[in-house]
Amino acid sequence: MTPVIRLVRRNARDPRTLALAAALLLLLAAVVVPRLPVTRDGVRVLVVVDITGSMNTRDYIHDGAPVSRLTVAKGALRDLLSRLPCPSHLGLALFSERVPFLLFEPVEVCRDYGAVAGAVDAVDWREGWEGDSHIAEGIFGAIEMAQGLDSDLVFITDGQETPPLPLSGGPTFGGKAGAVRGLIVGAGGYGLAPIPKFDDRGNEIGFWGANDVQHENHFGPPPPDAESRPGYQARNAPFGAEIPTGTEHLSSVREPYLRALAGQTGLAYAHLDDGRHLARALTAAATPRPAKGMADVRWVPGALALAAVLAAYGLFPARYPRGFLRFVKAAGRWP
Amino acid sequence: MTLGVDQPWMLVLLPLVVLPWLRSPHRRTAVGSIAVVPADHLSAWLGHILRGAGALTIGLIVLALSSPYAGGRTVSRIGTGAQLVLLLDRSGSMNDTFAGRTPAGAEESKASATKRLLREFIGRRPHDLFGVAAFSTAPMLVLPLTDHQDAVLAAVNASDRRGLDFTNIARGLGMALSMFAADRPDEHHVILLVSDGGAVIDPHVQDQLRAAFARHRADLYFLFLRTAGSKGLFDTPAPGEDTPQAMPERFLHLYFQTLGIPYHAFQAESPQQVEEAIRQVDALERYPITYTERLPRHDLTGWAYALACLPTLVLLAAKLAEARITPQPQVLAVMSPRRRKAA
Repeated sequence: MTPVIRLVRRNARDPRTLALAAALLLLLAAVVVPRLPVTRDGVRVLVVVDITGSMNTRDYIHDGAPVSRLTVAKGALRDLLSRLPCPSHLGLALFSERVPFLLFEPVEVCRDYGAVAGAVDAVDWREGWEGDSHIAEGIFGAIEMAQGLDSDLVFITDGQETPPLPLSGGPTFGGKAGAVRGLIVGAGGYGLAPIPKFDDRGNEIGFWGANDVQHENHFGPPPPDAESRPGYQARNAPFGAEIPTGTEHLSSVREPYLRALAGQTGLAYAHLDDGRHLARALTAAATPRPAKGMADVRWVPGALALAAVLAAYGLFPARYPRGFLRFVKAAGRWP
Repeated sequence: MTLGVDQPWMLVLLPLVVLPWLRSPHRRTAVGSIAVVPADHLSAWLGHILRGAGALTIGLIVLALSSPYAGGRTVSRIGTGAQLVLLLDRSGSMNDTFAGRTPAGAEESKASATKRLLREFIGRRPHDLFGVAAFSTAPMLVLPLTDHQDAVLAAVNASDRRGLDFTNIARGLGMALSMFAADRPDEHHVILLVSDGGAVIDPHVQDQLRAAFARHRADLYFLFLRTAGSKGLFDTPAPGEDTPQAMPERFLHLYFQTLGIPYHAFQAESPQQVEEAIRQVDALERYPITYTERLPRHDLTGWAYALACLPTLVLLAAKLAEARITPQPQVLAVMSPRRRKAA
């Protein structure tokens, strides 16, 4: 055996030599490793945004200033766009009166992010075509629309029916519960807040007062307890003679009502906070739509190679000071 | 050629390249005094080379981890086209056929025919910026101006769904105009208004619209889908009927002519005529337009890893060639006075 070979043999036993050899092998692996085919779960969702008057209520606080529910909803949606796994598809519709109005069918949000984000920014309460909001009918219509588009549903609303539901109850869901998955997102605070009022040209002119709105819906049959109401008369005053009073001019998120609607239709319910919460709730409720993709895994051997080189330079000391070991042991005993 | 990285935060590890000047992977040999060893330029150079190789290895791996690439720049090019807002009537009557009936069998509603032909139109104009607005009772901004054709097609696809109530053309036009930048004579703005009904624009709003058209400078194409039996744009009035309320379409046409902008009106009574009108718009609106194109990217990650292999090989070779310095007997003899005496 020549002295050179003996030298190399002896040096090869050094752990730092092994670390460098490992680094070299890992780097070669990083060069040749192919992209791995993976399936990613995207979502395909139709987002319906309630743009009726009560969505202008400013009962969210952002940076110390009150902001409207619609502003928060738009901000959360924009944030959601960037959080959705690629490839995900999102369509947008507006809700006012009793039907959702489809702006565009679901498009790929990663590729067309700018266009979709621009459309979300452009959502405005002034686009509302009528002042009423028959929310239950809107949700049922939206479910049908989402089914037609083969997508899940996110319906953002505060749940305030205008006019109030008839005393005989609201409409019932005719479809199959759970056929469309998704979320009803309740927008608004839990305390009552005044609803801004606007003139014909869209300028704000104060708030809705108690006498401006209908507090009770006298459509349909009177409630069973109508006879006990003051001034009741079967023919002339079947709902009683008193002018109904209430808090319909104020608004809060009608969570129990929205939860009931969600239960009836097989959707999940979430409160509107921000994009992160919305994304989490949506991924939990949505149908996973696996799509084929390619994953670049070269960073794994690359990172290991870096660690090996650093180890060769002794960045991770082989012997730790005694105090450190005592600390680790103590930390291990920690309950 | 532009270079860039996808994960710039990985570059915080770059200061690790100084590590070879602080530590060494090589075995330490204790020497009594550095003065004992004569200055050796070759050794000094070897030391520099090995430190450089170490720094290069660490630097290249960190760079590779940050996913470097070349190209991917967006360039501005000049093509032919325009900035075009499709202003679509979404009133309920658009869902009827040209004969004014609910579509049955193979019949096509006005909205469906428009949708089909607009899709072809968009496909033929790759460099245009398209925006989509809709109107019924209120105007609705569907999609701001964009060059993402998929999104535009998705918006046009949605345009033959059930419509809403009324036809408020004036507010729709206001919305469409507001989608363009004001005072940009270098941009060419076009509004393609597709509607099946006229509407009375009150004089106050007429003036506002006139001012908005002057500010945003847009060509107006009015594609009027005439339903059988209804009034048209070019009808001559019967005596006593020449009022905006009796003939809103005719008065709308007259008003548009007074706007002082390039204005073309097409009256279509069948899908074939719609196609012909759209073909004419296509031919007329050919102006220079600046569009951006993204150049293809070349991934450099693999190259960085491959390059990192070379200095690693140098380090490994140096490590394997490490000599074990054991003091030679002569040296020991020099160092030990007792031995010197013994010798």
